[in-house]
Amino acid sequence: MSTIVGIIKALNSGVKHLAVKRFTLRYPEEKLKFVGDGYQYDPVSGVAIAGYKGRHMLFHDKCTGCQLCAIACEGVAEAIGMVKVDNKWKQNKKAILPQIDYGKCVFCGLCVDACPFYALYMTNDYELSSFTKESLIYTPAQLAVKAHMNQDVQIAISKRGASHSAELPAPLKKALPPAQPQLESKLKETQEDKEKADDKGDTHG
Amino acid sequence: MTTQFPPGIQLEKEDERIMTLNIGPQHPGSGHMRLIIKVDGDYIVSCDPDPGYVHRGEEKMAEHRNYLLNIPHLERPVIHDSCNILYPYCLAVEELLGTEVPERAKYIRVIASELNRCVYTMYWLGIYGIFLGHSTMFMWPMADRELLIDLLEAMTGARVTHSFFIPGGVRNDVPPNFEDRVLRQLSYFEKRLKEYEDIFYQNPVLKSRTEGTGILSREDAIRLGVTGSVLRSAGVDFDLRKKEPYDVYDNIDFETQVLKEGDSYARSRVPYLDMLESCNIIRDALTKMPTSGSVRVKLKPNPKGSADEVYRRVESGRGSLGMYLVSNGTPQPYRLKISVGSFRNIICLPYLLKGELLGNMPAVYWSLNYWPVEADR
Repeated sequence: MSTIVGIIKALNSGVKHLAVKRFTLRYPEEKLKFVGDGYQYDPVSGVAIAGYKGRHMLFHDKCTGCQLCAIACEGVAEAIGMVKVDNKWKQNKKAILPQIDYGKCVFCGLCVDACPFYALYMTNDYELSSFTKESLIYTPAQLAVKAHMNQDVQIAISKRGASHSAELPAPLKKALPPAQPQLESKLKETQEDKEKADDKGDTHG
Repeated sequence: MTTQFPPGIQLEKEDERIMTLNIGPQHPGSGHMRLIIKVDGDYIVSCDPDPGYVHRGEEKMAEHRNYLLNIPHLERPVIHDSCNILYPYCLAVEELLGTEVPERAKYIRVIASELNRCVYTMYWLGIYGIFLGHSTMFMWPMADRELLIDLLEAMTGARVTHSFFIPGGVRNDVPPNFEDRVLRQLSYFEKRLKEYEDIFYQNPVLKSRTEGTGILSREDAIRLGVTGSVLRSAGVDFDLRKKEPYDVYDNIDFETQVLKEGDSYARSRVPYLDMLESCNIIRDALTKMPTSGSVRVKLKPNPKGSADEVYRRVESGRGSLGMYLVSNGTPQPYRLKISVGSFRNIICLPYLLKGELLGNMPAVYWSLNYWPVEADR
């Protein structure tokens, strides 16, 4: 008798799922939203900022060509190589910038941790597939482009089960205030200050 | 169980009735290994597990990299449980370098490793379900695992290979409103786990296949040196989180899950009970976690330890996972020995399968909570 009850219970828990929302993410149409703009590292405090570890983003005006990212990658994937570029910068006299081979990269982010000049970050871009291996090698110019991803869907939990939705869930009572420094805003401030200073210099000149 | 031969080496008196079957290495039910099984009709006479097909030389690779650069490749053996496999390594390196981890980082580590244990166990549960012919039990855990992967992704930035733990703490702090998200998704996850009870664990079809098969007695479990859920399902109350608490596990209230039967059903149920307990641990850790503070001690670029040796172990999803680290004062480890739960659990398979029906092989084999890649290292 208990066998029949058990089978009916098992069937019942499956049948209930006819009324439950579908959990599948319809990928190319819907893309999951990540925290922040990507994985970043603050060399002053020595702590990184949470974010998705996707394709890198290189700031040419901050990179000094010190090769620390390439040295960090040597022990991991040997994906980073330094290449010579035509442009010249004050801080980068050798005019070398990192070039990343995404056929080798494992997205561990240790290169970002190695960078002491806020020059290398990771972004939310993970769509890197290509038809040839050569096009997986990203030149410094390609790395400087910021990708725009339409990532807006989050996991939404309701009484009818879990699904994906673009709407933000209502916060629970015990929501924590943001516990980390906003590095982006800081950077923007410093950049703006620099620009202002440059402008002033121009007017004086 | 009375014969004292080492498994596999003994020469059975073969006659025409006995046939040798190679299950694996390509067979989907075998994992990345081969089981050399001798059958008499439908009954298994002997079984010889033949692991080693996915040996990667992790221990040797660790000798040529410094303590930080070892992080990405050491987590490769078990990518779903990558926080737990890095845990003993980080503890050992910290002891070697004399680093004190910040309090907040310890709690974040506990939360990450418990989430990872659930992610691993859900994957294992899906495989266990599909090899018993229960395809719903494959689909459901694979979907519900995404809830936890989503949390880990927000926390660490990667779906499976997190590279999150680092000697000196964790790589980054948790994102804003993380606690809110964890509590919401965890309560749904627990609700889903309770549904598994009806469809899988109390299902008479599963019970008839697993109850009473592959019985491991308490004495044999201790004698064969099995660990983790296999040991606890045989009635031995041994959980490293309780017996040798590392980081902040001594501050957290939780119970060890022990069953007495020692059969395949008990072995498959202990990881499930562990997942429910993990949810409690995460909730408790979130309430006790300091709200602010540093999460990482900055180490020197090429940290050198004193010439010493350290052994630290943690309770992973598959049992005790230990790392023995020898240093000679250079930035690279002189020797790193990894002792994994998977390899210790597969040892008891020849004893469990003797006299079983061949059809019960997947039920017994996958109940051992075995991960071939980790066993081969």
